[in-house]
Order: sequence, then C-alpha cells, then structure tokens
Amino acid sequence: MLITQTRIPKADFERGTGWSIRPEGACRGDVCVPLSDGLTGNDVDVAGLANALGMSIVRHSRDLAALGPASLGGRALSSAEAPDLVLPDFAGNEFDLCSLRGQKVVMVAWSPY
Amino acid sequence: MCLESMGAEAARSYVDLAQPEHPCLIDVAHLVDERFGVVNIPNSLWIDEDGLIVRPAEPAWPSAPDLAAEDAPSEDAETEAAPPPPGRMGDMMAAAAEIVTDRVPYVAALRDWVAKGAESEFALAPADVVARSGSRGLDESSAAAEFELALHLRSQNDLESARPHFREAHRLAPGNWTYKRQAWSIEPSPLDGPLARFWQGPLPGAEADWAYESDWVKDATAGGAANYYPRFRP
Repeated sequence: MLITQTRIPKADFERGTGWSIRPEGACRGDVCVPLSDGLTGNDVDVAGLANALGMSIVRHSRDLAALGPASLGGRALSSAEAPDLVLPDFAGNEFDLCSLRGQKVVMVAWSPY
Repeated sequence: MCLESMGAEAARSYVDLAQPEHPCLIDVAHLVDERFGVVNIPNSLWIDEDGLIVRPAEPAWPSAPDLAAEDAPSEDAETEAAPPPPGRMGDMMAAAAEIVTDRVPYVAALRDWVAKGAESEFALAPADVVARSGSRGLDESSAAAEFELALHLRSQNDLESARPHFREAHRLAPGNWTYKRQAWSIEPSPLDGPLARFWQGPLPGAEADWAYESDWVKDATAGGAANYYPRFRP
C-alpha cells in the first residue's frame, strides 16, 4: 500500500494490507502476530507494524513510499484462509470475494498482455 | 481477475467477446499478486465453500483441447508449415510454440474437485497450500512495494520515474512474470491491434533505448521456453 506519512489510521492500514489490528495482535485468517502496546491505537506506526510483520518499506521521495506485503513464514500465503479481496467489475461495481462463500470458487488471473 | 494497470478499457474487448456469466473483475493495483501470490498469468486458485484455499496459485487453462481432433492429420498435413517471420516476431512465435501447458491434467483435476470436494486428491490440506504458495521473503516484499510505486507513478503519467521501480521489482523478484509483463507491455510496440501488448521488447533498430535489463523473448528462452510455466503438480 502507498503511504505518505509515518502514522496512519488503523482502518487505512487494515484496508490496505488485509491485516486487522485486534487486541491479540495483527491478524489475517487464523494467523495473529502479537504487537507491542504502541502499535494498537487508533493511529498506527507503519514502521513498527512493518517490522512486526516482515513488510518492506520502499521510499520514492520524502512524501511517498510503499509498504510491501508481509513475509512471515517465507511464503506468499500465511494461511489457507482466502484473504479479503474487493475489486470492481467491468461495470464499475464493487465485488467482494466473500460474497461467494458457500460455493466453490475458481479464481482465475489473466491479462491482455 | 484481470491484472491490468491500464484499467478496464484496456481489457474490455476481451470481456465483451467472452461474455462471461461469472464475475469478471479488474485489478489495476495487482492486489491478486500481493495477497494470493500470483506471479504469472493465466493462474488460478481454488477456494472451497468455507473460504479456504485448497490449491494456491498455479498455471491454469480454460479447457482441455480435443486431443483426438488435435492428433488427427489435418487435410493440410502435407503442406509445409510457413516459416516464422524474421526478427523478433519470429523469435516470439518460436518461444511461444515451445511453451508447455498442462491443459488435460489441470482440467481433469478441476473436474475431480468439483465432483468430490474435500475428498478429491487434488484438494490440498491447509499446510500444503501455504507450503506450495510462492516464496515471499523481504526481497519479494520489497519487489511488491517497488512495483506498486511504479504503477502509481505510471498512473500519474510519469513513466520515467516509474521505470527504475519496475526495474528494481524485476531484480528483486526475477521469477515474477506479472511484474515484467505488465512493465514491458506498456512500452512502445511496432505492432498494432491485440498483439501490440505482446511485443514486450526493444523496437527494431533501437535496442540501445530499451529501458530494461531483459525482455520477454530473452527471459522466456533463458531457461528454455518449455519451462516457462511450472508443470501441473497433483
């Protein structure tokens, strides 16, 4: 996710990374990483969370950086639970992957290049 | 899930032609790469009724060809195949012809899972799903961040600033083809129409101006085009 400041609202971090901040720590699926008290307020310290979750921060300029995905466990998936994903369809309507719960889903990635 | 930083309009003609009955989504930020570990296309993941991934990202194919028809000699069998065109186009076609796609075992496995669910031998246990998902260390995390910066800067019409971030993403995650194909495909092409985006390399006579260390033909053939996609693993 793109970041422009060192402290950001918790909700922005959760939406941008798919990790939720709970009393027990940063959680995604059935994986929770304990956090120190300083990382659990309404605004969170991006560098502290990045360090806890193995996320790289790459800076483009003083005012623009990007936060990479978590690298816990060394695999792209930290859990078999499907990550949250909300994307627009080709008519511009938001579609939530979770809306397909109860059905088998084959998720196909493609591109025109 | 269409991975296309250029937006829906760049891919709409394919969707209009296919007229899919399933949800068809546009992913301009490549969230599917980041969250699900997709590194090339076409790829698929299978997710069960409870939202558990039972097969992580792997090469996926839309249908099995009719092998009987494919093996049968065509009426033109004795006609000598046309030689590939000279230059890069010929190199692209030659490499593409060598690519191996496991359509038959993939589709058979998918049908088996649809019929048997968790009892299918192709439905993996959660620990195996995680273990088989792609490698992700700090280098891959940095590559994803570089790629995201590049996409953002390109969206601001600042391709000059985006290219160093694309290059760094390629260096840090050399096995990630979506990072490469997306970056290369937005460079100028001498072709028109749908093939234009597949050129993904230097313009003829302007090789020194190419902004990247590699290109599709060079990378696809480096390890043998037959190895471009990992083979289907039951």
